[in-house]
Amino acid sequence: MDAWWMCEVPYPQVPKAVLDEADSVRASLPNRYCDPRIAADLFEEAIDEYLLCDEMGLNVCATEHHAGVNSLLGANPMLVGILARQTRKARILSLGTLVSLRREPVRVAEEYATADVISRGRLELGFVKSGGTEMASANANPINNIERYWEAIDLIAKALAHQDGPFSWEGKHFTHRHVNIWPRPWQKQLRMWAATGDPHTAAEVGRRGMVHTLVLRGAEGTRRAYAAYRNARAHAGLPPASSDNFAYSAFVCVGDTEEEGRRVGEKLLWFLNTSLKSAPQYSRLLPGVAPPHVAGQAWRSRPKAPADGPDLVNAEKGVATASENARKLVSITVEEAMAQGILFAGNPDGVFARIKQFHDDVGGFGHLTMIGRTGFMTHAESEKSIRLFGKEVLPRLRQIEPVTAALA
Amino acid sequence: MTESMAPGADRLTIRDIDLEVVRRGSGRTIVFLHGFHTLEPGAPFLELLSRRASVLAPSHPGFGSSARPEDFETVYDLVHLYRELIDSLPDGKITLIGASFGGWLAAEIAASCPHRLERLVLVNPLGIKVSGRETPDILDIFNTHPDVVRRLSWHRPERSAPDFDALSDAALTRHARNRDALCLYGWEPYMYNPRLKRWLGRIALPTLVLWGASDGVVTPAYGRAYAALIPGARFELIEGAGHHPELEQPDLLAKRILGFLDP
Repeated sequence: MDAWWMCEVPYPQVPKAVLDEADSVRASLPNRYCDPRIAADLFEEAIDEYLLCDEMGLNVCATEHHAGVNSLLGANPMLVGILARQTRKARILSLGTLVSLRREPVRVAEEYATADVISRGRLELGFVKSGGTEMASANANPINNIERYWEAIDLIAKALAHQDGPFSWEGKHFTHRHVNIWPRPWQKQLRMWAATGDPHTAAEVGRRGMVHTLVLRGAEGTRRAYAAYRNARAHAGLPPASSDNFAYSAFVCVGDTEEEGRRVGEKLLWFLNTSLKSAPQYSRLLPGVAPPHVAGQAWRSRPKAPADGPDLVNAEKGVATASENARKLVSITVEEAMAQGILFAGNPDGVFARIKQFHDDVGGFGHLTMIGRTGFMTHAESEKSIRLFGKEVLPRLRQIEPVTAALA
Repeated sequence: MTESMAPGADRLTIRDIDLEVVRRGSGRTIVFLHGFHTLEPGAPFLELLSRRASVLAPSHPGFGSSARPEDFETVYDLVHLYRELIDSLPDGKITLIGASFGGWLAAEIAASCPHRLERLVLVNPLGIKVSGRETPDILDIFNTHPDVVRRLSWHRPERSAPDFDALSDAALTRHARNRDALCLYGWEPYMYNPRLKRWLGRIALPTLVLWGASDGVVTPAYGRAYAALIPGARFELIEGAGHHPELEQPDLLAKRILGFLDP
C-alpha cells in the first residue's frame, strides 16, 4: 500500500460568530474574512509539510475547492506546479483541478503536462466531479455536470497522449479545432484517478480502469462502490482489477500515544462539523443533485428521515442535506468517526492496525489518501504526525501486497 | 402545483417528443407557454381563457410529465419545437401567450416566425438583458436562498406560494423536474439570449406586455424596457401579482388578455 498526504489548506480563522451567523461557509461568505497574510502563512506551512512528506517517503496529493473556509486551493495546478519543482521523490497526485468547472480542458492538459515535465514524470491525474457550492462559484450548470466531466477527461487524455500534430475536437460541451500542446508530458501514459461514491460513476471509473477513490465513505459504502467498479469491469469483459486500482481517503493522525493521536485527531473533525455548512440552494435544493423523486422531497420543511446514515461522499462535495449535517456530522465524535473508518487516529501501532482492519473489511485498497491536516490542527502537530506515520506506519503499510478480490 | 398525470391532462407528440398538454375550450386558438411552473388542467387561468378560445398549453420537455430527449437542452430546441407545434395547428391565426420563461420563448418565436400568429401576449417575460453588466435584471432563483426567492416571487407569498409540506410526493417530483429542466435551459446566460434584444423590433404583431406589479424576480421597469423594444407594444401592470400573475391573479390576467383579443 502507498500513502498520499493531503492538506486542503483550510482557513479556520474566521470568527465563530461569523460562521454561526452565515447560512453557508462556502460560496457566499465574503472574502474580507480571508486575511491574505494569514493565508500566506497557511500556504507556507502546508507546502513545508508536503516537503517533509517527500523526505519521509510519503506521496503527496493536492485537491481543489472553491470560495470557502474548507479550502484555499481554488487553483490546484498552481500548488501542483510548486510541488513538482520542490519535491524530489514523491509521486504527486492532483485530485484534481475540477474539470467540469473549467472552460478549457486543453489548458488543463497544458498545466498538467508542464507539471509532469517539471517533476520529471511524477504526476498522477485525479478527477473529481465537483458539485454543491462550486456550481455557484464557477457558474457551472449542475444539470449536465457529469457530461462535462467525462468529456473534459477524454479531451485532456487525448491532448496528453497525442503526439502527431494538431487534432480537432468538436464535442458536445467543448470544441477546440487545433490541439497540439507543448511540452508533451514526460510520462507516456499518466495514471488517472477518480473520486466518486455513486455507483453509476464508479462503474464508468471501473470500465476505464482508473484508480477509484472513496472519500470518507466508511466500510459499507466503500465496499459497495468498489463492487460497482469490479462488476462493471466484469460485465464489460475486462480483466479484474487488483486493489492497486482502489484508494480510500480518511482523516489520519498519529501521536506518540493512543491518547495523543485521538486528541489531536479530533481537531480534524472540524472539516465535518464546521466546513460543510452550506445553504440549501447550494446543497439539497441544487438542481440535478438527486433524481426528481428524491430531490422533490427536499422541499419539505420537515423531511422524512433518511433510511441510513449521512452521505459523506456527497458531504465532501458540500451537497449533503442540511438536515444530515445537523443530525450527524456536526455532532460526530472521535469514537464514531473511528468506528466508521472516517478517522484513523492513535499511536503508530493503533493507526496501522485500524487501517489494516479497514483494508481487510472492504476487500483491499492500494492507496491511502490521508487528510492529515485540517481545521485548527497546528503545523507542529502535522509535522509530528507526518514523521511518525512515515517512520512507524508507512513501512508496515508498504508490506500489504495488492490483492484481487472475488466479485461480490 | 399539480399531480403527476393530473386528470384532464392530455398528450401530444411532436416528432419524437411526447408532451403533456392541456387542451380546453373551442374557438380561436390560444397557445400558452408556461413559466417556472406548469399549469394544471383545472387552473382557473386556462379555464377562463377557454370560455372564449381553444386553449393549448403544453408542458415544456423536461417539465411536468413531458419527456425530454437527451439531446434536447436549449432554448433553440424549444423555439423549434413550438414553431413546429404552431405549424401543425389547423389553418387560422393563433394568439401566442407566454409567461416568464415561456414569455422568452414566445418572444423568440414571434421575432423569428410571425406568419401564423395574430397576437402576442407576454406576461412577465424573461429573455433579454437590459441593465449593465454588473446589474442582474433577473433574480437568480438557483443561487438565492429559497425563502428570498419565495418572498420576491409573489405579491402575497403566504397566500400564493406553494406549501411544499402540503404537496403530494408526485407534485414534489414534478416541482423538482420543472426546476431541473429550467436550470438546464436557463442557467447561462442566466435566463436571456444576448441576441434577442436586437430582433424584438421584428415583431410586427399587436403585442400586449403584462407585468405583475409586485414582481421581485424581474421588475416592471424591465418590462417597460422590454415593451419599448417591440413596435407598438402596450405595457400594463397587473395589480396584486408578483412574477406569476397566471397563478396569483388569474381573473385579472384573463380579463386583460381577453379584452386585448376582442377590443
